[in-house]
Amino acid sequence: MNFLYSIISGIFIGGLAGYLGSLMITKRMALVGDALGHVALPGVALALIYKFNVSLGALPCLALGIVLIWLFEIRTNLPMEALTGVIFTTSVAIAFLFLPESEISTALIGDISRINVLDTVVSVILSVIIFLILRRIFNQMVLANLSENLAKVEHIDVKKYNFIYLVCIALVVALGIKVTGSLLMGALVITPAAAARNLSRNLSQYSYGALVIGIISCVAGVLIFKFFDLSAGPFVILTATLIFLISLIFKKK
Amino acid sequence: MSDFILKVKNLNVQLEGELVLKDLSFDLKEKEILIILGPNGAGKSVLLRTLLGLYLFEGEIHWRKGIHLGYVPEEFTVSKNLPLSVKEFFGFKKTSFSEIFQSLKEVGLEASAKFLEKRLGTLSSGQLRRTLIAWVLVDRPQVVLLDEPMVGIDIHGRKTIYDSLVGLWQRQNQTIILVSHEIGEICKKADKILALNKKKLFYGRPEEVITSQNLAKIYASTISL
Repeated sequence: MNFLYSIISGIFIGGLAGYLGSLMITKRMALVGDALGHVALPGVALALIYKFNVSLGALPCLALGIVLIWLFEIRTNLPMEALTGVIFTTSVAIAFLFLPESEISTALIGDISRINVLDTVVSVILSVIIFLILRRIFNQMVLANLSENLAKVEHIDVKKYNFIYLVCIALVVALGIKVTGSLLMGALVITPAAAARNLSRNLSQYSYGALVIGIISCVAGVLIFKFFDLSAGPFVILTATLIFLISLIFKKK
Repeated sequence: MSDFILKVKNLNVQLEGELVLKDLSFDLKEKEILIILGPNGAGKSVLLRTLLGLYLFEGEIHWRKGIHLGYVPEEFTVSKNLPLSVKEFFGFKKTSFSEIFQSLKEVGLEASAKFLEKRLGTLSSGQLRRTLIAWVLVDRPQVVLLDEPMVGIDIHGRKTIYDSLVGLWQRQNQTIILVSHEIGEICKKADKILALNKKKLFYGRPEEVITSQNLAKIYASTISL
């Protein structure tokens, strides 16, 4: 049964992470997913120590991190990636103050064997809801990225959309951490989207291509875990990287 | 308001503690073309953005209630790698193919399925700017605010766009506010000229205010017409 839970969670979380990644690369925020994976680390550490769901542990840290980044951005006008850098390095430093050595591997590269039926149901429901929200705001976010002023004149509340988008990133990172761990979460968001970008002619091919590559990567990682008893997280990412390398051959001009 | 579409009174705008627009007052009626002239750093773009509600201000800006504004910003670049087609860009607004083709034709672009499939980032700067203008015009705003729309466009392209803007004004009763450096043909087609350099330098009908003496006020040198 655990295999079934892992594969279902992988399909939904991988697809969602890929789809989100296509928007993150468009907004030049590719490394934010990576950084947020690290922001979650203190919560993941607490969850591993006190044996509760790592996503639940990750969420409060991510929420706090996101709110701080958002507030700092409004107050300072510094680039979001600089502010994220400040927050994520602080989080890693805090996590390593109390993360037990025996749990370091699980925290950093995930452990898909710990996914249970409740995790799977929550992952599927949340993934669908977040996907629908992202699909709803996708075009507005792309337009705001082309010209924030143009978007505002078209009655797009850019600050509000940015906040919704950041909350979606936090939720996807919290979900994805179970599959790939804190260290590799960024790659689950970036690599499928980077591969899809090479292969697509338009926005629709790009975003849904990233979704499909995210699913393929997660399914491949879970299958390798099942049949070779190797950690799923690294193989999820290596599959995505392989697809990225293949995409270079077929790159659209 | 009667037939006034915009009334601006004693407008002051401060950005980062510096007063960039001082005590501006002017108005605009339906179907009029207002051209805003001024040297670099005069506050022309700031004025446009303030009218659009993008900056805080002191004073009064009254648009006619329920007015639909369109805006062509000065800066608009698209990464070559962004896989966003012209069709998808127009898809950001809910418009039909016939409206898109009509709008593309009006700015002198090829209205074809092939053009719609092109990536926005692969268009030349002139094509991109014209596509942007077509995009802004596609849902027929009542007032169009254009900030230096001719940047990066060759002379032929400029004439096409100017002609199409004037054509639109005549056919569709659109009101136009245009920020421009140019004092050529387009100024003659304007109803009003507002010249500023942080504060109002002169304001009125082109035949009254476009004089060598006034233009010297803007560009700080003698210009012969």
